Amino acid sequence: MGGVVSLSNTRKTAGTTSGVEEENTSCCKKMSCNASVIRVHVPPEGQLQRAPVHLLPCEIEHSGSAQVSQYFTATTKDRKCEKTVSFRGRELKGQEISCPQGYTGLVLKETNKPGSDQEDRTVKVSSVFDKLTYWNLETPPNSDDMIVMAMDWPELADAIHGPVQD
Amino acid sequence: MDLSPFEKDNSVSCRLASQIPDVCKMEDCCLGIDEAGRGPVLGPMVYGICFCPVSKKEELKSSKVADSKTLTEAERENLFQKLDEANSYVGWALQILSPNTISTSMLQRTKYNLNALSHDTAIGLVQYALDSGVQLKEVYVDTVGPAEKYEQKLSHIFPGINVTVRPKADSLFPIVSAASICAKVARDRVVKGWNFAEELGDVETDYGSGYPNDPKTKAWLLKYLDPVFGYPQFVRFSWSTAQTLMDSKAVAVHWDDDEEDGEKTAQRQGNKSMLSYFGASAGGNEQNHQTHRFFTERRLKSLSTL
Amino acid sequence: MAAKKKRATNVQNDSWVVVAADSVIDTHSSDSDPAFVRLRNPSTDAASLYMLSAGDKQLFEVKAFEEDFHSWFVGQTVQRDGRLLFVTPMDPLYLILPYLSKAGKEGKFQPVNQIVMDEDFPACSRLLSCTRSLASLLHIAEEKEMGSLKFHRYSHEKTMIWLQKKVERTVVALKKKNISVGEGVKSTTYIRVKSESDHHEEDYLRYAHGLISEYISEDLSKALLSHLQLPELTSPKETEPPSKKRKLSDKPVEAGEDYTKLNSTDFARKPPKKMTAAQKTLSKVDKTGMKTMMSFFSPKVKAEKK
Repeated sequence: MGGVVSLSNTRKTAGTTSGVEEENTSCCKKMSCNASVIRVHVPPEGQLQRAPVHLLPCEIEHSGSAQVSQYFTATTKDRKCEKTVSFRGRELKGQEISCPQGYTGLVLKETNKPGSDQEDRTVKVSSVFDKLTYWNLETPPNSDDMIVMAMDWPELADAIHGPVQD
Repeated sequence: MDLSPFEKDNSVSCRLASQIPDVCKMEDCCLGIDEAGRGPVLGPMVYGICFCPVSKKEELKSSKVADSKTLTEAERENLFQKLDEANSYVGWALQILSPNTISTSMLQRTKYNLNALSHDTAIGLVQYALDSGVQLKEVYVDTVGPAEKYEQKLSHIFPGINVTVRPKADSLFPIVSAASICAKVARDRVVKGWNFAEELGDVETDYGSGYPNDPKTKAWLLKYLDPVFGYPQFVRFSWSTAQTLMDSKAVAVHWDDDEEDGEKTAQRQGNKSMLSYFGASAGGNEQNHQTHRFFTERRLKSLSTL
Repeated sequence: MAAKKKRATNVQNDSWVVVAADSVIDTHSSDSDPAFVRLRNPSTDAASLYMLSAGDKQLFEVKAFEEDFHSWFVGQTVQRDGRLLFVTPMDPLYLILPYLSKAGKEGKFQPVNQIVMDEDFPACSRLLSCTRSLASLLHIAEEKEMGSLKFHRYSHEKTMIWLQKKVERTVVALKKKNISVGEGVKSTTYIRVKSESDHHEEDYLRYAHGLISEYISEDLSKALLSHLQLPELTSPKETEPPSKKRKLSDKPVEAGEDYTKLNSTDFARKPPKKMTAAQKTLSKVDKTGMKTMMSFFSPKVKAEKK
């Protein structure tokens, strides 16, 4: 990783932002910021909603409602080994992948962010999924896709963290 | 003209063709190429070819079937009927390029401009005629880009065929005029009967001419602009009119092949700590810590906070 | 299609897409919730995010899959933050170990609940509530009982054995999942003296050791390396681009880095376009079992910028 040195030098000039990663740097001097926890509220089984989940190969500068089923789902075509759709006139090719064995997909939502970073936070499970569709810009989905490779991790985690035989 | 193959899926490109008249397989033929709908920001672009034996050129001319000075849609429909009736010696074929095909082709990673798309479509149709057994000896086509270059390109691809590229070819050569009628009739019908695959309820069909400078078209685009998705697939996203409107009224979207320098990327990412790339958290000795390549190769990082 | 807009700064994200072990939600009860907590990362010594299930029964670590230029559609919403979080089970012993080890320097047997304390990370005492914690302490410590009380003292020897078992488990998983562990860089110089299968085994051991090292201190990592009888590499870091050193062997060698996958905003360099001398050498080598060059330089590579 030859790029290490130059990047750590630019850190100083990165400037202050609302980026949460930076928050911790300054407040870590006070022990209290590491005391706060983020509670995860899980609704009862019967109340868990399912929602389709898509990972797009572009960054959309918006978080909030979107007419996904009207524009996206309605125009998606299911071909032999891939799905196709256009987004903003660009061709996407996608594939549905499942969560690894023993894992569930969750979407967490925080409704009331507290004023300070020393206060406890709460997120709730707003929906669950067991499959997600990821989309490539034009490239047919294949096993070298990064997200497919990332899905290797849970199984390996089990080896590294599972109990050893006595 | 049966458009149902296209109407089944109007997001792709579709070829429609008449029967090949027997006489076209036996005698030397001439073929005209023209297009319809190149300029509008809405709807498909249609490439058409029309061919007949060279010996029937005069018959075509005198039947007035190839008189494309007519302007109304109804008159064109009429002329197309006549062409259809002349199916003993006239054949035609069309390539309907959906607006989605135009958008995705032009907005590809390896950019494919409209002229290149046009050339390839025309060439594809000529090849189709040849493959179907038409004894082609002459091809007439309107200019797309520099005339001489296009003529050379086509002559090179189709040796043994006399290629003539001229501006305003549809008024010079009846066979080109006939092709123009086929293309225009197809485009008009497709646009009129456009089935919006998007679930938008009843869509207003009063979008004027579909040309970017038509105020009615602009108003329609504004009305049907969605902040996340932009427009329905009826619209050509690669047109600067569409892009400009989205730039000002829709949310910004960024792709990995955007022309953007590193500084802008940092800005956009809210100046996330560069250290986040090393999978380490703030504080401690993360500057010495190198995350194992299993994680970096899979873009997996530790987090210090949610 | 240059995006010339100024980027809107990323207002703090309020939703996350997560892949979590079933036990995170399965075990929740009406009176307690799972929670994200910050604890001291044993490798970096800085704050990292973990999760404790309801009642602190199980510990999980949190990692984020993050590639530039991604966003999510979740149902009828769009989420700008395109990360995918993984919540995977974590062995609490990795987090408990540093405290035991530090206390072990005093040489005394102590009650563990007096050792596992951290004024910077108050949540760390909760680790002792994990189901596995107290029972598994024997893997890394000696235990003495006095009446109903238990006292522990860190044992380096036991820890080495425990870590070795971890490495072995990891090797088994790496093989099973066919993870590419080949390096092209060996501890000896470039003359092969061991048999092919031994070399292979060393690659797996080093890789697994590297993974386990993500969870232990640098000192412990070094000790483990020598316990595994793997000499420290005399050649430059494993993460050096492999094109700089290429063995002239007939064993298939894989490129250690796939340059096409590097996002240019992460690193200054761009994907190499020409073959280096090393790659030319590689082209003469027996390539059975190797991926072709073309699979690394796929259409995913960015189009050439002006």
